[in-house]
Amino acid sequence: MLENISIILDQSLGALIKGLGMTLQLTISSLLIGVIIGLIVAFMKISHIFILNKFADVYLAIVRGLPLIVLIVILYFGISNIVTLSRFWAGAFALAFHNGAYIGEIFRGAIQSIDRGQMEASRSLGMTYGLAMRRIILPQAIKRAIPPLGNQFIIGLKDSSLIFVIGLNELWGTGQAISASTYIQFETYLIVGAFYLTMVLFFSWLVAKIEKKLDVDGGREVTRI
Amino acid sequence: MKKFFLIALSLTMLLVFSGCTGTTSTEGDTFSFAMSGLYKPFNFQDQNGELIGFDVEIGKAIAERMGMKAEPVTNPWDTILVGLNSDKYDAIIGSMAITAEREENADFSRPYYRSGAQVFIAADNSDIKTVDDIRGVNIGVVKNSTYGKQALQFTDAKNVFEYDSDLTALQDLKTGRVQTVITDQMVGFRVIKEGSIAIKDIGEPLSMDEMGIPVKDGNTELLAKVNQALEEIIADGTYEEISKKWFGRSILGE
Repeated sequence: MLENISIILDQSLGALIKGLGMTLQLTISSLLIGVIIGLIVAFMKISHIFILNKFADVYLAIVRGLPLIVLIVILYFGISNIVTLSRFWAGAFALAFHNGAYIGEIFRGAIQSIDRGQMEASRSLGMTYGLAMRRIILPQAIKRAIPPLGNQFIIGLKDSSLIFVIGLNELWGTGQAISASTYIQFETYLIVGAFYLTMVLFFSWLVAKIEKKLDVDGGREVTRI
Repeated sequence: MKKFFLIALSLTMLLVFSGCTGTTSTEGDTFSFAMSGLYKPFNFQDQNGELIGFDVEIGKAIAERMGMKAEPVTNPWDTILVGLNSDKYDAIIGSMAITAEREENADFSRPYYRSGAQVFIAADNSDIKTVDDIRGVNIGVVKNSTYGKQALQFTDAKNVFEYDSDLTALQDLKTGRVQTVITDQMVGFRVIKEGSIAIKDIGEPLSMDEMGIPVKDGNTELLAKVNQALEEIIADGTYEEISKKWFGRSILGE
């Protein structure tokens, strides 16, 4: 097994790194767009306007009701009649479409968990709803959203592996190609798994750092004995 | 803090926009053709992720004859025809056999090689000695291939298992989940030659398939150009040169 591992690493490290790069690009793009979609969706669901509410509900139902792989294929092949996207953007958009729903619910939960008193106090000070949201509620809500958001980012990273189905050579697709030309399957997949694991660990460390910096738990210490 | 975020954001933007690797162009001077990339020695990837193989070289030669730039791309086999009809690429040069069923959804060029479906078994399998012995056993084939139908001649549908790639199918011979695999003889022979999976072939090829180059249904202009380019490379020896390089002989079967 070790011999096979060194064969793969010797021959295909370049291709794997390229795949890694593609995975990271896909993940980051889809998360950025997903956050934007998520914010919009969160506000649509909080809104009192009936149509916005229902629209958000339909969107959430579709995204949560379809397996991601089905969603990707439908968006890639289905919408090609309406608009032609490059593979990268079709994939990134499909992922963003998927991530956006979950991120939206995370934001909504965070916003709604802020004490009503905050909004009441801001309004009684004369702030408009928008100003209160922007200056008072959202900053607090974002702090609360960081742990589940970090979690969703990691899920998004792993979800990007499904993009191989539209022929893009991200990390998993590269692994498949390598195993097809070297005829070594098990060790190739082990190495690909190790790559993903490393990325996830790095992401987790990053999120922990951000949490600390933003002082997410408000300085509440667990009682020391 | 703000500065950190700004820098991080701009770096990520930079990273993201360098990912705009552009569309597979289907106009102008490029000829894009798709393949699975998992089919050694016809189409597979080298260590830098570049596509190589018999199909790739034929594609490049055809593009050159047509005065266009070759652009080989990969696409999973089971959606490769769908992709053709969604204009994701101009043609498929991925060892696709010409069948009446496929003719309905795409226009095929003249055959560019002929090869046979071959039965393979695990090297240490002594139960199966002739092709007739495979009746009723579990047979592995690649999804959406002509081999699936051939497998049905020997066993029931419930014993036919479809895999994403021939490699995965051949690997399962060792585990015994399938007792035989039907795939292209060249693919299996390459595996035997490289010695990485212990398999052997049984009997004569089950059939001779003709592989063609499909273009989108109705794209007669491109089809005419491809056919002409194909005739030219066959006539002037380029085809023979490529074929000899990969197989030691011409696989045109004409």
